[in-house]
Order: sequence, then C-alpha cells, then structure tokens
Amino acid sequence: MTEKIIEQEKRAFLTGNEVVAWAALAAKADIMYGYPITPQNEIMHYWTRLAPRYDKRFLQTEDELSAGFTTVGGVLAGRKAFTATAGPGNTLMQEPVSMAEMLRLPIVVVIQQRGGPSTATVIYSQQEVTMTTLGGNGEGMRVVYSTSSHQELFDYTIKAFNTAWKYRFPTFVLGDGYQAKMREPLTLYDPESRGIELIKPEPYVGKPGTPGVDRAPSQFRNTYSMEEELLEIVNQYMQDYGEMAPQVAEYQVANVEDADLVIIGHGVVFRAVRAAVDNLRARGLKVGYFRPVTLRPLAVPQIKEVFSNSKKVLVVESAYGQLARLLKEAAYGTTAEFLTMFRPGVGITAEEVEAEVEKILG
Amino acid sequence: MGKITRIVLAGEGGQGVQSVAEIIAEAANKAGKQALYIPNFGVEQRGGVSVAYVQISDGNIGSPKFKTGDIVVALSERAVRRTGKYAGPDTTYVYDSSIKGIEGELPKYAGRFLPIPAIDIARHDFHPRVFNIIILGAVVGATGVIPLEQVKDAIEEKLGYKFEKQPELRELNFRAMERGMELVDAKNMRESVIFKEVAPAYEIF
Repeated sequence: MTEKIIEQEKRAFLTGNEVVAWAALAAKADIMYGYPITPQNEIMHYWTRLAPRYDKRFLQTEDELSAGFTTVGGVLAGRKAFTATAGPGNTLMQEPVSMAEMLRLPIVVVIQQRGGPSTATVIYSQQEVTMTTLGGNGEGMRVVYSTSSHQELFDYTIKAFNTAWKYRFPTFVLGDGYQAKMREPLTLYDPESRGIELIKPEPYVGKPGTPGVDRAPSQFRNTYSMEEELLEIVNQYMQDYGEMAPQVAEYQVANVEDADLVIIGHGVVFRAVRAAVDNLRARGLKVGYFRPVTLRPLAVPQIKEVFSNSKKVLVVESAYGQLARLLKEAAYGTTAEFLTMFRPGVGITAEEVEAEVEKILG
Repeated sequence: MGKITRIVLAGEGGQGVQSVAEIIAEAANKAGKQALYIPNFGVEQRGGVSVAYVQISDGNIGSPKFKTGDIVVALSERAVRRTGKYAGPDTTYVYDSSIKGIEGELPKYAGRFLPIPAIDIARHDFHPRVFNIIILGAVVGATGVIPLEQVKDAIEEKLGYKFEKQPELRELNFRAMERGMELVDAKNMRESVIFKEVAPAYEIF
C-alpha cells in the first residue's frame, strides 16, 4: 500500500480528466467526493479505477451540495480531500465553498467549465470565471488557477493541494470541457522526487488531548450573532488573503516592451493567444501577450504595469466579459484603450485572434 | 511554430472514427511530435454524427479545435454534410465513394477530392470490421507525417488484446492499413482501377 505512485518521470498521452486523477494521486490526496456531470465525469471514473490500488477512497454523493459538504467534512477530519464539477454543479458547489471560506478549510475543487447559463452545453466555455473567483455569499476568499495545457493541469492540481493546505483557503483548478476531453502529451512525475514538498494535512477536529488543558479548544464557526464579531473575522481573513496574494499570484507575459497592442487571455484560450502573437510578430506586427494564471488573486501590480505601458489591450475570452471585468478592476486608474473579443461558449482559434488584431491595427 | 497538420474525421457512430483519431494522435506522439486529439461531444448519447479533430505538429499546438482541416474525411452522407465547413482551398477532402447522392453536398472549395472505396474493399477483400483501419491507412498516407512503425505500435496498443486471442487479426489489420495507404498514394492514383470506376471529383474547384 505504500507503493510509489509514479516511479519515474514518464511521458504520457492522456485526456485532461485522466491527468487530474493522476495529479491528485501524485499529490497524495486521500479521498474524492463527487457527483457526475459532464464534462468532468472521467475524473471520478479514473479516480475510482486508480484509488483502490493505492488505498484511496471515493464517495459518490446525491448531488453537488453534498459532494462539497462531504469534502468539507473530509478536510475537517484531516484528509486531503477534493471534488470536481462543472456548470450547474459549480453553482451548487458555491454553498459548501462559502462554508470552507468561513472555516478556512483547504478543500480542492476542480472545475471543467461548460456552456452557460443553466444546462446550456456540456461542451466548453470560460463562463464560470465570475462564479469560481467570486461566487457564494462572501468576499471571494479562494485561489483559482486557470490551466492551459495538460502539463499545467498536472502541475497545478498538485500545487492546488499545497496552496490550500498552506494558506487554508479553498483552492480551485479551473479547466474546461476541451481540456477535460482532449488528449495531448505531458510528463507525469512524482513531486517529491523533483524536490516539491507536499504539505501534510492535519485534522481540525478530534485532535488528541483535553481541550483547554493540553491544547487550545478547536472552535470552527460559520455563524455569528453579532455584526461586530463578523466584521472582525472577515477583516482578519481579508488581511490574510491580501498578504497571501503576492505569494500565490502567477502570470505569464511576453513581447510587451515595444508592443502597440497586448492581447490578454487565460486558460485554453491562451494557447490561441500565444500562437497568434508568434504569427503576428513573424508578420512584423508589434504585439505581446499577458496571461493571468491565477484568476483569484490576480497579479495586480503586473496587470497595472501592462495597462500603463500599452496603448491598447485586447481581452479575448470564451465568455461575455467575465475576465474583462476582473481585469478592469485590477487596472483601475490606468489608461490603455480597452478592447474586447467575446465568444461566449465557443472555442477561439489563433487565426480568429490574428484577424481581430489586424482589424484593430489596420 | 513548426508545420502543423490538421485532420477532421467524421462518420456515423460505430464506424470507428474516434478510434482512428486516437491511433493517429497516439502514433504521432510516439514519433516524438506534439499531438492533440479531441472528439466532439454533446448531450446526445447516440444518433449524432461522430467528429474527431486531430492536430500534429513539431511545435506548440494552439486551440484544440480549428476552422479548416488539411485533411477532412467523411464516411457517411450526414458526415459529408457536416464537414463541408472544414474544407478550404488547401484541404484534401476524402470520402467513401459508395456514399450515394452527395454530389450536391460536397464542399465547393476543397483543394482536392479523394473518393476512396474503403467500404467496398473492407467488405470484399478483408472484413467489414477493418473498414476504419483502411481509413486510418488512407489518413496516414494522405498526411505523410506519421511513420508507419509508430502507427503499427499504436494499433498494437489499442487492439493488442484482440490480437492475443486471434493472432491472424494482426496481419489482417496491418494489411488493411497498408491498403488504405495505397488508396491515397499519388503514384497509384492515375492507374488505379478504383479511380477509373468512380468519377474523379477533384476538379470541382
């Protein structure tokens, strides 16, 4: 049962859902709770196939509310617990995620975005950005990694567990239906063999000793009688969040120094953005890209810098302005002309981005 | 970015287009190339046209889906109607020559049309079930970017468990694939009896 999950680094050719299951194993997750919804189903399928071999657990619940709350319970019991969902399931998941925010519980949630609103399509979108970054009745006290390749899906799923357990905020890996279902190569590895320390989970409840005598009592509240009490706790959490932000915010940037236009995209759309910048540069157009890897917290100083030094920015997303809205807040006070290319619920190719840029730059 | 090859495969459920796409992508990956395969999927559980998108490149691959294929393969009447939009002036459009009544449905702007009698060949010379392997051969031949050895490896990986039980299937599949490659081999195209029998449609553009 102590069998090492990935003996040595190996190149694999997998679907994104398989990648997530392997990454959760590599991160030494103990248990997955889940309820089926396309396009994330195979995360559960692969996990349930792999889990018994490594003494891991799985619980199928009756819906996403329950999947989220059982994940909360798993974490309270000191297990590295995660769940995965999409679309309307993500909507329901916001309730238990809010509780995890209030109790500072390191649950990990993988989202494979599908079209919205409502049932819409089971295929693809980037329309769960607002909900994943700022959902629930709270202040968006969560970390959201937006991946763009299978290698990143592996890397950031592992990282999500560490971020969650280090800072004790719920942490999301935000993929999409394309990433879920497509196959592409990546390298699987054992994180510890690469020198990545995996943070060990610890129980919140049921600790040894007598509370008040051997240890401080455990008290986890999501209910407050007094407004002032709540104010104090939320202010404290937001201060913690603010201190964490520069440690976890990640971004990728290239060719912006002399750029007439900077293209911004996240997730799978970034692949098209990067290809478009390569192709446009080859044709002599001065364009660069900026890509937020964490959508929450955003790399605010770097975003301000891009928006201050560029004449024009073009935000490209498979949603109607969900990333754009986050960027506008981050870039408040800067002067770049703000251009957008919104394609809610459909894929975006490099050729389409190039055509848009050529139209803008004449 | 290196040169990129984009392939669309479409057919009825059960014709095996997803398996073909998976084998092609896996073979390209084995050959050390970047490869990306994505199936279409929707809410319908059956009855839809099955479409697969494959990209093979020496460099980074951009978005998983694309607008125009270098090679577009349609294996049924509905697949022909569905895939017209993926054809452009540089597209090789491959379809089964036994599909009836599609003259008006073929895309107007494909670079070259390749009708191939894969269904007939599978039925008469091999076995109906290797039809998709003939198609696989045709795609491998038409792209010319995936080495045969890795294609055979990928077939072995996918169908090896069947070959264990019936070793003669291995030879049957490999021969079917090679026959598929011959069908699209430019050298053979002119003399081929096959291409005399079907009206050459590749002058439409």
